[in-house]
Amino acid sequence: MTEKAYEVAHLDELDRFPVDEEGLLWRPVRRRLGITAFGVNAYTAEKGDERVVEEHEEKDGHDELYFVASGRATFVLGDEEVDAPAGTFVHAEPGTKRGAVATEPNTTVIAMGAKPGEPHEVSKWEEIFVAFGHYRMGDEDNARKHLTAFVAENDDQWQGHYNLACLEALTRNRHAAIEHLKRAIELDPQAKEYAAKDEDFDWMRDDPEFPA
Amino acid sequence: MSGSAHISDLTFTFPNAQSWAMVRTHFGVSSFGVNAYIAEEKGVEVIGEHDELGERSGHHEELYFVVSGHATFTVNGDEIDAPTGTFVFVRDPAAQRRAVAEEAGTTVLIVGGKPGEAFEPSPWERTTRGLVHFANEDYDSAAEAYEQLLDETPGDPGFLYNLACAESRLGRTESALRHLRQAAEADANYAKNAIGDPDLDAIRDEPEFSAITGQAGAAGSGS
Repeated sequence: MTEKAYEVAHLDELDRFPVDEEGLLWRPVRRRLGITAFGVNAYTAEKGDERVVEEHEEKDGHDELYFVASGRATFVLGDEEVDAPAGTFVHAEPGTKRGAVATEPNTTVIAMGAKPGEPHEVSKWEEIFVAFGHYRMGDEDNARKHLTAFVAENDDQWQGHYNLACLEALTRNRHAAIEHLKRAIELDPQAKEYAAKDEDFDWMRDDPEFPA
Repeated sequence: MSGSAHISDLTFTFPNAQSWAMVRTHFGVSSFGVNAYIAEEKGVEVIGEHDELGERSGHHEELYFVVSGHATFTVNGDEIDAPTGTFVFVRDPAAQRRAVAEEAGTTVLIVGGKPGEAFEPSPWERTTRGLVHFANEDYDSAAEAYEQLLDETPGDPGFLYNLACAESRLGRTESALRHLRQAAEADANYAKNAIGDPDLDAIRDEPEFSAITGQAGAAGSGS
């Protein structure tokens, strides 16, 4: 089948996956439209006092540009605080601390990013966000189905197994949680360090088979 | 550099009621292309008709986002109604695309990159170093910018053409005609462009102009 030359979608038609318990919504743009040359997503804060960009530093080297499409937000950029009404661009080089909190209802920020000097690779975290978005919306079956398919396609990567272990722990499936966590640690020992601090596993830490 | 700016602080406006915001160069974004275009009047092209295959194009897949206002996109002949909040993603570099503003102040953000390759800025982008001076009607600075660009890329037909336009505005008839001829010889499309370009009105009645464009006495009429 020939790929269509173009795709169209309105911001209102994009999925709204909860990213945290406070109300930050991830609106996948790249994934919806099939973009491959750069990353692009929208984030919406509906109430107007919640986080709209998670505070982070992009340690994987992505150059990121944020655009406030609607509403208003206060960004942290390095040591500075930036008032950002609709129409504001905020550029953060890799390693610069950045984050934003909405100051008006229905604030939407579009985030664009890619790694300088390298062909763009689609971030694996997108599919993990989708799965946990389903979970936060109360759709456990769809979350498990999505993560299981992701793990089947990426069996040699620890992140899929680790996140499936988290989901199984959150839904009290002891055996499956332990099996996937063991596999994640086998693939990369740093999974053990993450699991030691991850509250998703708190209820099973005393289990003699718990591997972290 | 890390930093912030409002889109209204980045724009410069041309006499044809188009404004550009050169976002990528302002911030030094090096991993994808990003700019914004504003049509100050209804009916004005906010995205000029183009594909991404030409020598001066980046062969990019392009994402357009209607930031404000309302536009009608045309992609490969298909009309797309695009109110504020619409994304139009053109993955095929060969697709012809353009957009016309249905409201004054319609603003479109464009993000682009070439799949499977590290980002390289589109060659056309460098021309804005001179175009910004056209927007300010500072033709001395425009001519100087294009002379510098030609030192960097000798014989580039786009830079030669824009230098000819600046020189025409400055009354430097002889050098304007010389550079226009060089541009047209390198790329015949510039001879066609010259026919309706008001920047060249001052040299339009010269016999050499007619010889270059192949149209004796052609009147200026375009944008």
